[in-house]
Amino acid sequence: MDALRRFWARMSEWRRQGSVENDLSAELQSHLDFLIEDHMRRGLSPADARRAAQMELGGLEQARALTRDARGFRLADALVSDARLAVRHLRRTPGFTVAALLILALGIGANTAIFSVVDAVMLRPLPYAEPDRLVAVWEVMSESLSAPGVAPQPAPEQRIAVAPANLADYAARVRSLTSVAAYTPVGANLTGAGPAERLLGEHVTANYFSTLGVSPALGRAFSPDENTAGRDRVAIISHALWQRRFAGTPDVIGKTMRLDETYEIVGVMPANFEALSQPGAIEAFSIWLPIVFDAESSSNRKGHIVQAVARLAPTATVAAASQELAAVSEAMAREFPELGTVRAALAPLRADQVSNVRTMLMVLLAAVGLVLLVACVNVAGLLMVRALSRRREMAVRFALGASRNRVVLEQVVQSLVLAAAGGAAGVLLGWATTRGLVAIAPASLPHIQHAGLDGRVLAFTVITVIITGLVFGAWPAMQAARIDPVDALKDGDRSVAGAWVVRRRGALLVGEVALSAVLLVGAILMIRSMMALERVDLGFNPDNVLAATVALPPTRYDTPEARLKFFESLEARLRQAPGVVDVAFGNRLPLRGDWISGMLIDGDPKYQQAGFQAVSPDYFKTFGIPLIGGRALAASDRHGSAGVALVNAAFSRTFLGGASPIGLVIRRGPAMPPITVVGVVGDVRRTGRNDATGTRAAEFTAQVYLPAAQTTLYPMHLRDVAVRVSPAAVGVPEAIRAAVTALDPDQPVTTIRTLDASLAIGAAQKRFQTFLFALFALVAFTLAVVGVYGVVAYGVSQRSAEIALRLTLGATKTGIVMNIIRRTAIMVVAGVAAGLVAALLSSTLLTSLLFEIAPTDPAAYVITAAGLLIAGVAAGGLAGLRATKVNPITALK
Amino acid sequence: MSERTDVLQGTLALMILKTLQTMGPQHGYGIARRIEQVSEGALQLNQGTLYPALVKLEQQRWIKARWGTSDNNRKAKFYSLTPRGAQQLAAEESKWSRVASLVGRFLVEPAGEA
Repeated sequence: MDALRRFWARMSEWRRQGSVENDLSAELQSHLDFLIEDHMRRGLSPADARRAAQMELGGLEQARALTRDARGFRLADALVSDARLAVRHLRRTPGFTVAALLILALGIGANTAIFSVVDAVMLRPLPYAEPDRLVAVWEVMSESLSAPGVAPQPAPEQRIAVAPANLADYAARVRSLTSVAAYTPVGANLTGAGPAERLLGEHVTANYFSTLGVSPALGRAFSPDENTAGRDRVAIISHALWQRRFAGTPDVIGKTMRLDETYEIVGVMPANFEALSQPGAIEAFSIWLPIVFDAESSSNRKGHIVQAVARLAPTATVAAASQELAAVSEAMAREFPELGTVRAALAPLRADQVSNVRTMLMVLLAAVGLVLLVACVNVAGLLMVRALSRRREMAVRFALGASRNRVVLEQVVQSLVLAAAGGAAGVLLGWATTRGLVAIAPASLPHIQHAGLDGRVLAFTVITVIITGLVFGAWPAMQAARIDPVDALKDGDRSVAGAWVVRRRGALLVGEVALSAVLLVGAILMIRSMMALERVDLGFNPDNVLAATVALPPTRYDTPEARLKFFESLEARLRQAPGVVDVAFGNRLPLRGDWISGMLIDGDPKYQQAGFQAVSPDYFKTFGIPLIGGRALAASDRHGSAGVALVNAAFSRTFLGGASPIGLVIRRGPAMPPITVVGVVGDVRRTGRNDATGTRAAEFTAQVYLPAAQTTLYPMHLRDVAVRVSPAAVGVPEAIRAAVTALDPDQPVTTIRTLDASLAIGAAQKRFQTFLFALFALVAFTLAVVGVYGVVAYGVSQRSAEIALRLTLGATKTGIVMNIIRRTAIMVVAGVAAGLVAALLSSTLLTSLLFEIAPTDPAAYVITAAGLLIAGVAAGGLAGLRATKVNPITALK
Repeated sequence: MSERTDVLQGTLALMILKTLQTMGPQHGYGIARRIEQVSEGALQLNQGTLYPALVKLEQQRWIKARWGTSDNNRKAKFYSLTPRGAQQLAAEESKWSRVASLVGRFLVEPAGEA
């Protein structure tokens, strides 16, 4: 307590040091005056009195110094003067300083950038009221893996949407949840004044906004009765849409807008409101409409159609709510057998939103931490060599009675000054890097656009700087503490101390090589993953194909024939467009979703599941999907002719044991028209190269292709169009828009994108992590190689006399270089070995980030070992070669 | 610093606190005079000893300082005992007398039983 009190008193006095000093002078002066007065009272003359008093009191300056010391300014003063000294020293050796600052700026900057991303994506509160009280609710289904007669096995759980019927029960029965809201994305065409526009939005329950704790900035939220049919023609719009289409005037409330149907605008959300459907994407969503559950969806416990969010009751914890929900869910499963293996689950909203990027971010943060550690090791090595040159000076100071703590403290202060300067440069670099990261970030990183330098990030950087300074400052400080003045002042001791530094730096180097080996293994695993991903055969040719979505509103195009007519007209128009080679349309083209239906194969009463596509005859030509057997779809396969279909090879593998499906008859239901299979086409990976986990290639799934012109065979709506263009074609997107507008000026076109661009979006997260990891590994690798060179070069310079002697006595240069290379190789091999073991032990962390590559993939380890060995030995050899260039005469003098 | 100063400072602190208790608020010169008188001239405090001790006591908040005017109209810094300082003094006094009586006993009966 006392120590603390004195410390604070000192600190506050230190701040007003000047006035304290004046105060002391005045006090000492008054003391002197009292004494003079006393002497005069005893009869001395003023001059004698003064002289006597001064003699009695002794040195005024000494008293002042002693009092100042008592105040304890010494430490603070010393720190300041040490810092000044450090700056002077650093300026005297610009080469060293620039190198150290560069290395530190790189390490600290990279850490600042990655942390600012982690902070924005994972740590900052979501823009809702008390966001940590919000939970996401979903249902999981355990797929029954057991065949009849086989004991049931634990099945993997699959996350599915929530059935509204179940959600109503969760809301009513789980007391830990006060408010449970449902939402689901919706798209609609905005027509009327201005160009037609495809809007994205959400269908929501009335309590969606109150659950999130956000009210419309203008107007009102929905009332519960608006979640019923007939009363649901009301809309809330985003701030951006209000500004863009309604001039931002307050009288928008009460106006109507045409979204396929006419809706009355009742509210405008605040500018920063984020729809839950796509976290962080403020611009993407612009309308909210009341969700209406019809009798079917309110009672069907198997209709999993909505997402759900809930707010925890005031005293409830996430764990308690989770347990209660699980218990309620179990009880409901007993009550309603149709639930089968479906159960409910919840998790904090924030955690749920970032669940798929969490591992990636944590791994990147760890990787960038390793880079900083490597940087620290490098700077420590540089500092040690530098400290060696000041050894004699320190020894003199010890000999003159300087305290050891004081000299060690000076080293630490110097390291902190260096770290602080490096940190300042690092913040600049980090800021620039963050901008770059935001620009290349995949869409799966929500809120990354907010990443930047703020108080939290700067606080992180400051802590990083201090830790960094202490880590790399530890060795030079240890070195200073070890100095023995007697030895250090003796001649020839340099080599002994130098040997100590060489040994320590050798140890540091082994660690540095090991760290960079860990990063290299990770980077190579990721690069090999990317390569494996690119190699996956899609089954179709994505080059030079441009696709677009034309979502026809069901109100205007209310029959399958009307929609078919639209797309056939569009096809005819696009065929005329310059550069267009082939045109195809369908309900969902590859990389744009899927449609799965039950079906019956004639002769088998059991329902099977297959993907169903309604496609135009040129679909296969456009996508480059080969016909394997039978015949292709023809223009003559139209409404009125016999129902036909093509299936893919996976279909015959899955359902027919590989036998030919030609002539097979299938139906979508017992009363549905028969469909005869007339041809077999190649398999495609419709959803892209990787499956949902991102760790394996997507499976080929059974597909049935129906002729789009046989509209009675299928219930789905035609929606997507694709064109294969000649490689040099330009202006195709405009041509697609123009063709659609010519057919229907109120019809917007969305998501005009090449298949390659769609594939790139799917691979964006992998590319992002691979790029960063490879960058970090490259930095670490470079630092390690530079470190090897530095250590060997220094070691050689310490032995220059010995080497010169050997050369004079007849040793060959080759022999000497080989000797140096051998010594280097021992260090590098030790580092690589330690690094590979560490990489192997930590590699499972990467499992979920890799694609078709095991984290133990031998190639990654072999490449890493070979790369580091070759580079390390080359760096050592280079340093050695320079050593043999010494002139024996000068070296031996 | 050397041991001697530490001991001196410990006892000096006690003397200063006691002086302020008996005399009330005093300036540095007054304190020095008083200690000199009580010790019958055995203790001559120079400024380099007195003021560092005063600073330390002030930092402990056992005494507080305020500028004022002396009897003969001279500006001086007056030190006075704080309640905390009074407590400390009481504790120090009892400790000191315990130690003094203990040491005294040793000196009175020099190693008699040995």
